[in-house]
Amino acid sequence: MLKYLEGSHAVSQVVAMCRPQVISAYPITPQTHIVEDLARLVGEGKLEAEFINVESEFSAASVILGASAAGARAYTTTTSQGLLLMTEVLYCIAGMRLPIVLTCANRAISAPLNIWNDQQDSMTVRDAGWIQLYAEDNQEAADLHVQAFKIAEATSLPMMVCMDGFILTHAFEPVDIPEQKEVDAFLPSFKPQHIIDPRWPRALGLYADPRFYMETRYILHRALEKSEEVIKQVSADFAQAFGRNSGGLIKTYKLEDADVVIVTMGSVAGTIKDLIDRLETAGKHVGLLQICSFRPFPKQEVYRALKNKMNIVVLEKAVSLGRGGILASDIRWSFPRAEQPGRRISSYIAGLGGRNISTDGLMEMVNRVSKEHVELAFLGLNKEIIAERDL
Amino acid sequence: MDKLPLGLALDLRRVVPYKTGSWRTMKPLYIMQTPPCTHSCPINNDIRGFLRVLADKQDYTEAWHILTRTNPFPATCGRVCPHPCEDGCNRRDFDTPLAINSSERSVGDYGLEHHLEHRKEVLATRKEKVAVVGSGPAGLSCAFHLAKRGFAVKVFEAAREPGGMMRYGIPAYRLPKDVLQREIEAILKLGVELECNVKVGVNIPFDQLRHDYQAVFLGLGAQKGATVGIPGEDARNVFTGLEFLKAVNIGKAPEVGRNVVVVGGGNTAMDCARVAKRLGADVQIVYRRTRVEMPAITAEIDEAMEERIMFRYHTNPIKIITDEDKVVGLLCVQMELKEADASGRARPVPIPGSESVIPADTVIMATGQEVDYDGIDLAKRENRWISADEFLMTSVDRVFAGGDAVLGLETVSAAIGQGLRAATAIEDYLEGHVESSLASPPVVYFKDLNSYYYNRKKRISKEAIPVHERLKSFNEIYPPFDPGEIVQEANRCFSCGLCFDCKNCLMYCPDNAVNLVPATGRYEFDYDFCKGCGLCVRECPCHYIQLTLEK
Amino acid sequence: MMELHEEDLNRVEKKNLFASGHRACGGCGQALAARLVADAAGENTIACVATGCLEIFSSPYPDPSWRIPFLHSLFENVSAVASGVEAAYKAMNKGPVNIIAMGGDGSTADIGFQSISGMFERGHNVLYVCYDNEAYMNTGVQRSSFTPYGAKTTTTPMGNPTRKKNLPMLAAVHGIPYVATATVDDYRDLQRKVKKALTFEGPKYLHVLAPCPLGWGHSGDLSVLISRLAKDTCLFPVFEIINGSVTNIQKVPHKKPVEEYLNLQARFKHLFKKGEPTGMVAEIQEIANQNIERFNL
Repeated sequence: MLKYLEGSHAVSQVVAMCRPQVISAYPITPQTHIVEDLARLVGEGKLEAEFINVESEFSAASVILGASAAGARAYTTTTSQGLLLMTEVLYCIAGMRLPIVLTCANRAISAPLNIWNDQQDSMTVRDAGWIQLYAEDNQEAADLHVQAFKIAEATSLPMMVCMDGFILTHAFEPVDIPEQKEVDAFLPSFKPQHIIDPRWPRALGLYADPRFYMETRYILHRALEKSEEVIKQVSADFAQAFGRNSGGLIKTYKLEDADVVIVTMGSVAGTIKDLIDRLETAGKHVGLLQICSFRPFPKQEVYRALKNKMNIVVLEKAVSLGRGGILASDIRWSFPRAEQPGRRISSYIAGLGGRNISTDGLMEMVNRVSKEHVELAFLGLNKEIIAERDL
Repeated sequence: MDKLPLGLALDLRRVVPYKTGSWRTMKPLYIMQTPPCTHSCPINNDIRGFLRVLADKQDYTEAWHILTRTNPFPATCGRVCPHPCEDGCNRRDFDTPLAINSSERSVGDYGLEHHLEHRKEVLATRKEKVAVVGSGPAGLSCAFHLAKRGFAVKVFEAAREPGGMMRYGIPAYRLPKDVLQREIEAILKLGVELECNVKVGVNIPFDQLRHDYQAVFLGLGAQKGATVGIPGEDARNVFTGLEFLKAVNIGKAPEVGRNVVVVGGGNTAMDCARVAKRLGADVQIVYRRTRVEMPAITAEIDEAMEERIMFRYHTNPIKIITDEDKVVGLLCVQMELKEADASGRARPVPIPGSESVIPADTVIMATGQEVDYDGIDLAKRENRWISADEFLMTSVDRVFAGGDAVLGLETVSAAIGQGLRAATAIEDYLEGHVESSLASPPVVYFKDLNSYYYNRKKRISKEAIPVHERLKSFNEIYPPFDPGEIVQEANRCFSCGLCFDCKNCLMYCPDNAVNLVPATGRYEFDYDFCKGCGLCVRECPCHYIQLTLEK
Repeated sequence: MMELHEEDLNRVEKKNLFASGHRACGGCGQALAARLVADAAGENTIACVATGCLEIFSSPYPDPSWRIPFLHSLFENVSAVASGVEAAYKAMNKGPVNIIAMGGDGSTADIGFQSISGMFERGHNVLYVCYDNEAYMNTGVQRSSFTPYGAKTTTTPMGNPTRKKNLPMLAAVHGIPYVATATVDDYRDLQRKVKKALTFEGPKYLHVLAPCPLGWGHSGDLSVLISRLAKDTCLFPVFEIINGSVTNIQKVPHKKPVEEYLNLQARFKHLFKKGEPTGMVAEIQEIANQNIERFNL
């Protein structure tokens, strides 16, 4: 049913329909509306779940770790500082192969403190072993959660659904909220792989000495690689059941004739599509490659899509300090060595700390990369407030 | 190696544990130790055994069988033994020693009341026959043990009835005659032949015994009273201690008159004095040294004093004063003590001019005893006693000896113990092997115990009946305990050196390496996992566990 | 609150639920305590264990020594993990089941304090058992907030300058229904307290003193004796706090001077110069005296 509602609420309502059994909550801007709404649903009896108001994000993750190990479907949401605080637990959850779903309302990282959107937080934990899917708009954000539980439970891998904080969470858009019975039909009840239960005594969380540890990492890596198939399949199943294309590994927009391809993740894709349409009328052919699944990184899909594209610019809302663009590195790595010369892959860092990405700015970027290779640039950097010694 | 499970989650039912026993440098062992009570007991009775059975199972019958495995005279010893076991009892260093003597008496009496029968150790009868000379404690004990082991035994007794000093020496108030009689009968029921009124060496030649029997045991005792050789000893109403006691014990007590003087400081002297007191006389004991040097059992001296017998120390008799062959007094001189003499005791020296006369109607010289060797010729003797080697064999082939005749004046228990040792020696000899004495396990002392786990509780005790009651008759002066009290007392036994199921080792092992074996009810170590930390050793209250070096 | 018969409470349990094969040092007080706790709790128990000595020596892949379900994730979050397990069982309508969180110094009082405080405050039906060996033993005997005054650790080589954090009181102040302290030498009392704790609904806290031969500097066979001396010198009072009231205080009729306890442990050796006690010993005695007064021992 089509509803006009805030992104947070779209997510909370869909998550509730996925019947999580244990939800842990620690508030942090801009995720607060999700947990508040879930609390209300539980309080009003509309959602039967244990809702635990924990005392920190660390405990939030730990509580659902315990809950998932005990065999319950578990969920939490956080962002930025909270995500970093629970980093230790995120790695643990992945290593223990617990199919937890977490919503990350992407936000910038301190210091300095900044509550507005960028994707540095989820990027920081990209190696933790979690599947990371990035939503373009509120509809996709909602849809991805239904897919997330299914993917996670099928692969025994934890899932992070990333949606841009404020831009998506606090924006009102019309969203098609599915019916409970539709969700039930798509997402069966959780059949846990692990159960901590005295009837079948098992140990979870043993330590692995050098004889075994390496193999556990290999197995986890391979699990992530193999999950690409599941992500694609679930997206296809979702399209069939709900009639919408959501999720999957990548999406493309007007790529066929594009001379310049912009690669990006998340909500900025919307802005870029507007720009592409405008440029088309002006006779300029720009295309868009949207990465939906950042981890596992769909190297083959990216290669296939961009094989013949020689001018690529990666626009991302994160930076690996001291190195440069993170997504850009992954994109640059997607091409075999032989096919790299002559191909320009420029890297642009944009929108950090909620900095607005305007069409004008994007236009400037397109113009520049049309002419030259840009190793690394910060879009719309205001040099006037940067001291000489800091340049 | 198995394939790694998902998330390294492991089914705990399929774990093959790692054997931490390989870490061990020291290894605990359950090793039974000898408790000091058994060690001090001349018969090496399994005191711990019978007390634990009383404590754990309240089973008097089994307690009796445990005790009579070694000692056929529990009711007797429970009355007359000076209980060196209690002196050795480790509980002495904690609060008060176990009332073992009273417990033994209780068990012995139970056996008599319920007509319990001794069990043979060997059911078949062996071809060898053994002769036992003397039916005192040594002889009857030897006969008992040999009969249990299947030998045919015949006891030759010179007196009219069996028992030796137990019957003819010890007064009835210490050992009632019927108690003794019934314990003897129980021994004879094993098939021991007894012939009384036969004095070997006189009525039957000693050599004939040596010819007719494959081994001979001499339990002759020291039944000849010795006197000190002062003038007047041949007067009427002058008796040796043994003569006097025997007369009383066969019901022919002499007229002792009003004043009785007993000379001597041993148990015989005490018995004589207390018997005389019960015959109505005023009694004085004359001894040339002091109480400290008196060889009598402390309890006997104390009881004599309670019974208002006067003790004259430093007093030595010189002459018995008679009037027409009847005793009227004893001339004594005071002594002073100088450096030790051959016996190791201070040497008494008369003080000139200190003579005085003690009026007396009867004088009893309880001044020494000797073996009556009449007709028995043993080539080697040491002083007055028979010399026997560590296997109790005398210088004559196949002739063994034990008891007072070998040890000098000792206790009933010592004699019983010798009878047991002799029986074993005879058995070994006849089987043709020299059994080196089995090294018994070392003794546990209080310092070895962990007494934290024992609760303090005083031993049971009973007062003797009041003195005026005692003197009216020859009845026993200590009333018996009832079985419930004895069981309570038995619960005080520390069980030194043997497990009593406190469960400390089971519960304190951090490695679960101690298990209860359901079939036996005992504990065992799981050496696959025991790390040898020694906690069990420390916390075992009774020192049953020891650490040894792991090879 | 569930009622248990006295005979059930008093029965001594040995079930090998914490089995042989673990790699604890010989004579380890914590291994002994964990064994007693697991057996007292019984088979219908889930053990959530924090990183620490217990976890390391009892749960290597592929041969852990646990025979009841075991869950371990990190150092500081065992209370939160146990909370999650408890919530899951409630949500799934499964149970009843005993959920026991176990941790040492750090996971209880320091790095895990936030987590345990949250668990207490939210009222989860979890028993938390703290094995107090008075330092971070697993990482090499570094000081913790449970390290007693004067004790030598690798990070307080001159003797710890602070007093022990009083976690039983802190736990009680959260308003939880049952708090108790116990020692490994009195296994009956320890097992009884575990069983009793499990009859209460809500968070429970059991603080067990666990001697560490390696860290405290004594031979493994003395662990029980030293535990007993900690009680007898009144340095470790044993009591319960039920619904906020201190009760069932174990009196010490034969009190011993603290020297008897300190003398047996190398971590206190520096408190004695040539066999004579220094001033710090008197200060430690003062701590004991304060306990005597406060608890009327």
